[in-house]
Amino acid sequence: MKNTLLDLYHKDGTKKLLASLISILMGLLLGAVLIVIVGLSKPTIGNKDIIKGVQMIFAGILTKGLTPDGGLAWGYNAQNLGNMLFRATPIIMTGLSVAVAYKTGLFNIGAPGQYLMGTMASLSIALGIPGDSMPSWVIWLLAFLGGCLAGALWGAIPGMLKAFLNINEVLACIMANWIAAYLVSWYFSESSFRNVTEGTKTAYIYMTSYNGVATSKMGLDKLFPGSQVNGGFLVAVLIAVAMYILLNKTTLGYQLKACGSNRHAARYAGINDKRNIVLSMAIAGALAAGGASLYWLSGNTEFYWNTYQSLPGEGFDGISVALLASSNPIGAVFTGVFLSMLKVVGSQLAGFTAYNEYITDVIIGCIVYFSAFSLMIRMLLTSRKKKVPQAAAADQAGPVPAPDPSGDPVENEQEQEGGDEA
Amino acid sequence: MSNEYVIEMLHIRKEFPGIVANDDVTLQLRRGEIHALLGENGAGKSTLMSVLFGLYQAEEGIIKKDGQEVRIKDPNDATALGIGMVHQHFKLVDVFTVLENIILGAEDTKFGFLQKAQARKKVEELSEKYGLHVDLDAKVENISVGMQQRTEILKMLYRDNDILIFDEPTAVLTPQEIDELMQIMRGFAKEGKSILFITHKLNEIMAVADRCTVLRKGRCIGTVNIRDTNKQELSNMMVGRPVQLEVHKEPAQPGEVILDVQGLTVPSKLHKSDAVKNVSFQARAGEILCIAGIDGNGQTELVYSLTGLEKASAGKITLCGKDISKLSVHARSHAGMSHIPEDRHKHGLVLDDTLENNIVLQRFQEDRFQHMGFIRRSAVREYANSIIEQYDVRSGQGPVTVTRSMSGGNQQKAIVGRELDRDNPLLIAVQPTRGLDVGAIEYIHQQIVAQRDAGKAVLLVSLELDEVMNVSDRILVMYEGQIVGELDPKATTVQELGLYMAGAKRM
Repeated sequence: MKNTLLDLYHKDGTKKLLASLISILMGLLLGAVLIVIVGLSKPTIGNKDIIKGVQMIFAGILTKGLTPDGGLAWGYNAQNLGNMLFRATPIIMTGLSVAVAYKTGLFNIGAPGQYLMGTMASLSIALGIPGDSMPSWVIWLLAFLGGCLAGALWGAIPGMLKAFLNINEVLACIMANWIAAYLVSWYFSESSFRNVTEGTKTAYIYMTSYNGVATSKMGLDKLFPGSQVNGGFLVAVLIAVAMYILLNKTTLGYQLKACGSNRHAARYAGINDKRNIVLSMAIAGALAAGGASLYWLSGNTEFYWNTYQSLPGEGFDGISVALLASSNPIGAVFTGVFLSMLKVVGSQLAGFTAYNEYITDVIIGCIVYFSAFSLMIRMLLTSRKKKVPQAAAADQAGPVPAPDPSGDPVENEQEQEGGDEA
Repeated sequence: MSNEYVIEMLHIRKEFPGIVANDDVTLQLRRGEIHALLGENGAGKSTLMSVLFGLYQAEEGIIKKDGQEVRIKDPNDATALGIGMVHQHFKLVDVFTVLENIILGAEDTKFGFLQKAQARKKVEELSEKYGLHVDLDAKVENISVGMQQRTEILKMLYRDNDILIFDEPTAVLTPQEIDELMQIMRGFAKEGKSILFITHKLNEIMAVADRCTVLRKGRCIGTVNIRDTNKQELSNMMVGRPVQLEVHKEPAQPGEVILDVQGLTVPSKLHKSDAVKNVSFQARAGEILCIAGIDGNGQTELVYSLTGLEKASAGKITLCGKDISKLSVHARSHAGMSHIPEDRHKHGLVLDDTLENNIVLQRFQEDRFQHMGFIRRSAVREYANSIIEQYDVRSGQGPVTVTRSMSGGNQQKAIVGRELDRDNPLLIAVQPTRGLDVGAIEYIHQQIVAQRDAGKAVLLVSLELDEVMNVSDRILVMYEGQIVGELDPKATTVQELGLYMAGAKRM
């Protein structure tokens, strides 16, 4: 038993996971320190609020409200948990987008633009096809796929620039983001999808439920009554699994990764490197846009189209999600849920204490910074292990008990972000 | 008397995950001697020197300077002790001038301003004294490899180092440059500087070294006086068994034409004119045809255009009777072409991927390795294991080893195994033994001859005169993009070959 535990510890994947968890914990601790500092420096925040703030940093998702004497009431909060999953859905998808591109050697900072293009296509299809012309699930599917396609095309543009003209994908993506932002604003301002029936809402697009289109709840509303959650979360999880399989088990994933890590060697081996770079970016674009589709097709979200001054945060959150998950698609599900938990906690924090919710954005920033340290933490873990088993390992310079055979280390079994709150 | 040795490394042990790189290695360097460190790839030479230079910390053992124990935690400590190193892959800033590179990190400043004039004077004196000719104002990206190396040497001298480590210094040099370097090294030794010379080229050791320490598989096999030994003994010590230094082969029996190249012209990426100019030749089954020449005379472009990595502007390439001039890399490869690339890191391997994935790099789409787009992992593993076994590819973790962590020789063996096992009628081998040790060279030469004997056509592109003379059945010499001579290795001399290579003679 002890040996199996030791083996598990020495697996690369385990160490990656531990390093991620430690960096998350350190980020949370730093967040707690920040909460205390902010609390002490602001006269409007009392000592009681500081204590509540610190508690909420670690376990805010499990608060139910305030007790009569002003303390926190703990317990299963279905609404919070459901909303957490709901808000996790788009950032899991953008996280996958960044992660898949990164695994294939590309940095997709274009997720916000792809997300917007997905928004535009999805909403247009979902609202543009008359609701009585076909079953609503068909419209939903068309809207979802149309959104993905739009993102794929948008992602393919920087991909082509990279493949054929050798233009850095980061630059091309950043510019594509802003083109997408203004394109989408212009398109909706000219469109008939603006919400003109509710007088004050012309800056918004109709919810898709206006046309009878909404993502099925798939029973999740029973588990999390009162929340916005729907089947979109399950779709995102399925897609994550599919991406894991694509990258690790298929010849396509193998090609994409080979092109990503050494384009010259791929060319030498007769792999079409240009096609694969375009394909990588198209897949990444489809994923980011798919996130947008899942979010806006929920039927209870309204898209604010008016005068876009900033890019959608979901796109950039994808970078954090992917980074924290060390670009593992399965890991992205958990890190996506974790980041969205912090966001839900952020609004709770504003409700229950005198803090505003932006402090959680600061904490998310800290965690992302620490995730960059996760490599260092991994090295520390590696050097620590050296002392005992080296003698054994040294004797068998041949086939040492290898890491997981399926290529990349699997780190799906035990990852539970919720675990570190308890 | 304790000062007989300027540097002593005693009982050094250094481990990496899964492998002991140095095990109880002792090396003692006398003042004013040239001490060679000989060993196969992966024997632990570079690791040992990295320990001395402070790049790695040894787990056990001590280092003494002038009899005093010292701790070298990083290269700054090493520099402070007067230890300098010329790395195999130069550490120069391409866009800086030679002078700027030399003073980088040891700049003299006055009120925050660089004092280049003083530095220039010192460098000029050094360069004069040791015959190290460099153009101080040229940018590193524009100068020859030989001059880059002299820049590295001047860097050490500028820092007043008196213990000089040369890591495989001759791998990148032309024969003339090698001779020059040997002269320079002797000059240093006369000055009382001590030199550690890492190499696996026996000729050079015999020519220049005083003593030689041999490493094998991380262990110290012994230190010998060069005066009392010979090449055969050294190579036996290094490899651990008697090695054939000569290639033994039967006369060739050329058969039908496998590769027919007519009027091939390839534009250059570096300059306006063509890199390959109207080249025509034929390679036959059962012969080793060698393209010889000094580096940069169009061999690389010729191979790129044959394999499809670069487009030719004119000419026709026929492989086994099929016109392949317009085909893709993939199609050519399937038409019957194996290719051992010149640069194993750039083209040969995806370094961050596993050994098994690299072994199926061209073949992963064959039905035996995939089903409906899903990789058959067990089939890949089984095949990789068979290649590993058959071609004796050694690595820390077998098929799942990341190839970056393997030694150069084993990386090359993996590539050779992969290419030969595809069993194609044509093998293009470009510099197949570059940077390898005697044991690996012997092995790869045997494999190439075996291919020939099995009726394959082998096109060998080589810069090494020994290889050209020993392995090939027929030699074509390339000079400035043209084939200027066809020679029979049995009927020619190295001198004559050299004349063709230098462009002094044409057929």
